[in-house]
Formats: sequence, C-alpha cells, structure tokens
Amino acid sequence: MAYSDKVVEHYNNPRNVGSLPKEDPNVGTGLVGAPECGDVMKLQMKINPETQIIEEAKFKTFGCGSAIASSSLATEWVKGKTVEEALSIKNTDIVRELSLPPVKIHCSVLAEDAIKAAIGDWKKKHGVEVPVTEKAAH
Amino acid sequence: MTTAPTSTNPPLVCWSCHERTLGTHFCSSCGKLLQLPQAVDYFALFEMPRKLWIEMDGLEQKFLQLSWKLHPDNFVNASERERELSLKRSSELNDAYRTLRDPVARVEYLLGIEGARKEGEHRQQAPPELLEEVFELNESLDELREARASGGDLAALKTRLESAEENFQEKLGEVDAQLQATAREWDATLDGDAATQNKIKARLNELLNRRSYIRNLVTNVQKELL
Repeated sequence: MAYSDKVVEHYNNPRNVGSLPKEDPNVGTGLVGAPECGDVMKLQMKINPETQIIEEAKFKTFGCGSAIASSSLATEWVKGKTVEEALSIKNTDIVRELSLPPVKIHCSVLAEDAIKAAIGDWKKKHGVEVPVTEKAAH
Repeated sequence: MTTAPTSTNPPLVCWSCHERTLGTHFCSSCGKLLQLPQAVDYFALFEMPRKLWIEMDGLEQKFLQLSWKLHPDNFVNASERERELSLKRSSELNDAYRTLRDPVARVEYLLGIEGARKEGEHRQQAPPELLEEVFELNESLDELREARASGGDLAALKTRLESAEENFQEKLGEVDAQLQATAREWDATLDGDAATQNKIKARLNELLNRRSYIRNLVTNVQKELL
C-alpha cells in the first residue's frame, strides 16, 4: 500500500519519540489501542498547571506507518497549545494533513483518543477541573 | 432416522418425485437424497436446536451416521445428479461437523447465522486493563529483535517473553471460561425474549473479539520465540 509523502516523512523522522515520567503530577499519560490491528499508542504530555499549556509531548507507538505518523503529528500539534485547544483537535484534521486513505482512518481516531486520554489522565491527577469555557457552553 | 423439520426448515419439494417432503436428508416419499434448502444451517443439518452446549459423543455419533448415509460410495451406480449431491452434501457435513465440534468456531457460527457477528467495529477500543501489558509486551518484542540484530543478550529477554506468553495464555483461558459461562446463559434463554438474547449475543461477540486479540498477541510472541 502506498503511503503519502507526509506519512513516510513522519515515519522516517518521527518527532518526539520517547517517554515522560508517568508519576509526575504534571504529566498526563494516554494509552490506547485498536484490537482489529493490534496497534498500541502511548501519548504523554507535560502540562503547566497554571497556564494549562502543553509544554512537552512524547509518544511511543507500536503499529503501522499511519499509526506512527498520526501520533507523531499529534505530539507536534499539541505542543505549545492549551489543554482546551488540544482537545479541539479532530481525527479528521489528522486525516487531511496526512492524506490517510479510508482504511487507515482508525489510526487517526486512535491518535485523537490518545490526546483525550492523556489530558483526561492529567485532569484526574488535578482533581478533575473542567475548563470554565466548557461549562459556559449554554 | 427421525425427521424433525424446524421452523427455519420448511418442507420442500423433492427434485426427483416432485412431492412435498418432510425429510432433512432423504425424501420422505421416494427416499432420494435431498438437496439442502438455503435456510438450513449447521444446527438444523444435525437436527439440533441452536444451543451452544453440545454433547460431543452424540454429535460424533450423528456425524458418523450421516456421513455413512451420505457417502459418495453409496451412490456409485446412482444418477449423476445424486452422485453430485452426495459429494456436495458430504462436504457440507464435514464443514458443519468441524465448526460445531470447536466451541469457539461454534459461537462464531451461531452469531453469524443470528446476524450478530461484528468484527473490528469502528471505534472499538482494546480492553483498557490489557493495554499496559500489551504495551510492555511490544517493548520486549522490540528489544528482542534489536538484541538479535546486534548480537546482544537474548537469554534474559527470552525469559521475559516466555513469562509474558504464559500470562497471556492465562488470560486466554479466562476469556474461554467467560465464553463458556455466557454460552450457558444463551442456552438457558433460548426461548426467552429478544432483548435478553440480544444482550447475550452482544456479549458473546465482544468476548470473541477479545479472544482473537489475545490470541494474536500470543501468536506474535510465539513467532518471536521460535
């Protein structure tokens, strides 16, 4: 199967591979997996509790090229963003950026899930503080 | 042989004598070998209800009986149509027996004919309590491959993978036990309401997916350990 240039680029030069200390109260860890292909994706973020800005992001993914590229792109995108901005990243944004074919859409879904799971973990560590603007939706 | 047509198995017209016949395998009027109607599933082929608990000795007995009756050797001097039918029916019978004999294949088949088998559904999540271990397992596999490429210390890694394999085998056993328990529930509600049945079918489906996930992991580890 032919990967897009961007997927190949991320696959050959993955950004932010590695891990952050899981026990650090400012680090959120998201671990997700897709049973149909056996992919597992770990995404970690170090978030400043005052500014809610994601200062650091790391990932490690076992899976196909698209899964690796999706998580690599996700770490690139969330860095420097606020928690809220990061939560607004949609899997369709990843699909578009990487030109993923329909059979690989689940890889982007996994990356979106990983972002949400990592932030969810961080929020849990900080006693589930839901951002103010989310409450102000109505 | 007793012939007990089920509701999914309406009487059909015999291809030879053109009479409506009640037999499952042989025409009740002329005794000719029948072609299986489309609606007949493996359970009906063995004239059994769609229960997941099957008594193995009984199934084998029935299989031997039927394969004896349907065997192509019995039709050497029969018409071409009958010879073809006997071949086709014998191979169908073998498929049916192989499927029903295997407790996992049986559940998969049942869900299939009940229209409830869904593999790899969109947005399906891997069991969260497994993920941590799956991740570690993948890391160990990676390390083993690297060590192999660079001639590093394999013994310690292999021991780690072997214990991981054992761990996942154990989990496979747990899933099989759950599958068995849920299968018993299915049998108990065979005449129950559709809502309960659907719930059980959904659970069986989920268990099958989890099983194939763990099964794949074990296979991957075994491949690397060879």
